[in-house]
Amino acid sequence: MKITVTRSGGIAGLTREWVVRVEEQGDPDSWFRLVEQLPWQPRHRSAAQPDRYVYRIGVSRRHITLPEQDLTGPWRLLVDRVRDAVDQPEKE
Amino acid sequence: MAHVARAARESLALDESIRQKRAVAGEQGAQRGARRLEPPARSIFDAEQTETLPGTLVRSEGDEPGPDVAVGEAYDGFGHTHALFREVYGRASIDDDNMPLLGTVHFGRDYENAFWDGERMVFGDGDGMVFGRFTASLSVIGHELAHGVTQYTANLIYRGQSGALNESISDVFGALVEQRVLGHTAETASWIIGAGLFTDRVEGLGLRSMKAPGTAYDDDVLGKDPQPDSMNGYIDTVGDNGGVHLNSGIPNRAFYLAATAIGGDAWSSAGQIWYDTVSGGTIPASCDFITFARATAGAAADRFGADSIEHVAVTEAWATVGLGS
Repeated sequence: MKITVTRSGGIAGLTREWVVRVEEQGDPDSWFRLVEQLPWQPRHRSAAQPDRYVYRIGVSRRHITLPEQDLTGPWRLLVDRVRDAVDQPEKE
Repeated sequence: MAHVARAARESLALDESIRQKRAVAGEQGAQRGARRLEPPARSIFDAEQTETLPGTLVRSEGDEPGPDVAVGEAYDGFGHTHALFREVYGRASIDDDNMPLLGTVHFGRDYENAFWDGERMVFGDGDGMVFGRFTASLSVIGHELAHGVTQYTANLIYRGQSGALNESISDVFGALVEQRVLGHTAETASWIIGAGLFTDRVEGLGLRSMKAPGTAYDDDVLGKDPQPDSMNGYIDTVGDNGGVHLNSGIPNRAFYLAATAIGGDAWSSAGQIWYDTVSGGTIPASCDFITFARATAGAAADRFGADSIEHVAVTEAWATVGLGS
């Protein structure tokens, strides 16, 4: 299972992307458990705020776009974990 | 030819409608003139590397400076930006009703960003690798405060062309705050947004160049500045709310071209025209580039006269970036 996090926006307007393949991670089961908790249809969607990041998250073939201020709960845990897995693989 | 004549009549009627609205806005401004232009009321908070807002209050208006550089930069930057709007444009803070200026520094861990959340300006410390602290640039502080001014005036929708205009207006007033403090004219200014934000490891002058969009940085890690400098390079994208930080290069360059064609202090010439346009009540929240271009030309004619140097400069600036009317 491939997970892609694309972060655009921010005052600098720089786009960054982090990609992990769950099967290649140290504890794939914990990743699958986290993915199962993802709320794909959030009850609330915030309006855009100037210069905040915009996240596009893809898990296999499903995608969601979330403004930074809505990146909470399991979504936040997932994004932080993907970033750590790519930027600081020794932590995984 | 009939349709040309009809279009011309409709255009004239539209111009007349805009002029009437502007006259009403002017009268309202005169009536508001009775209210006081208060000095700034600043409060700076410290998020202490968390993402919880507002954080702890660490400096209020009139307090002596403390040892925290970011707190001091935010406090002083708010003061300079408030002064530009108050002393040059006669605006009483963000909402034109003496709204307090709220800021939070040290937001998040390694947070490489600054933003306006609808109520306050928020600044990260950067990751220390690519970015240092975001209060280090006065143009960035001015940029964030100007988002507040736009919210309380034209309230441009933060998506697509209206979003890119929202961004560009923040770059314009961010640059003007810095130019006014440094005593730079249109000719001597750098026109760089976010100078001093990058660490020494980055090959770049800053986040954006209003003079030459697409040339602010060219770095092994960051890549090349992607901003277009005319409609020929307009970027269609779903990211970044429809490329609001990318296509802002087009109106940014139009402002630079107008300001340098007029010459002298940009804040009192092109800056005044842009402020009149944003605050005049004539542009819609969904305003696109060409509507904004025509509105600035109208504002230039209203303030400085039809066919004045300013009016011609604004019209030609937009034509150069591919938005001739």
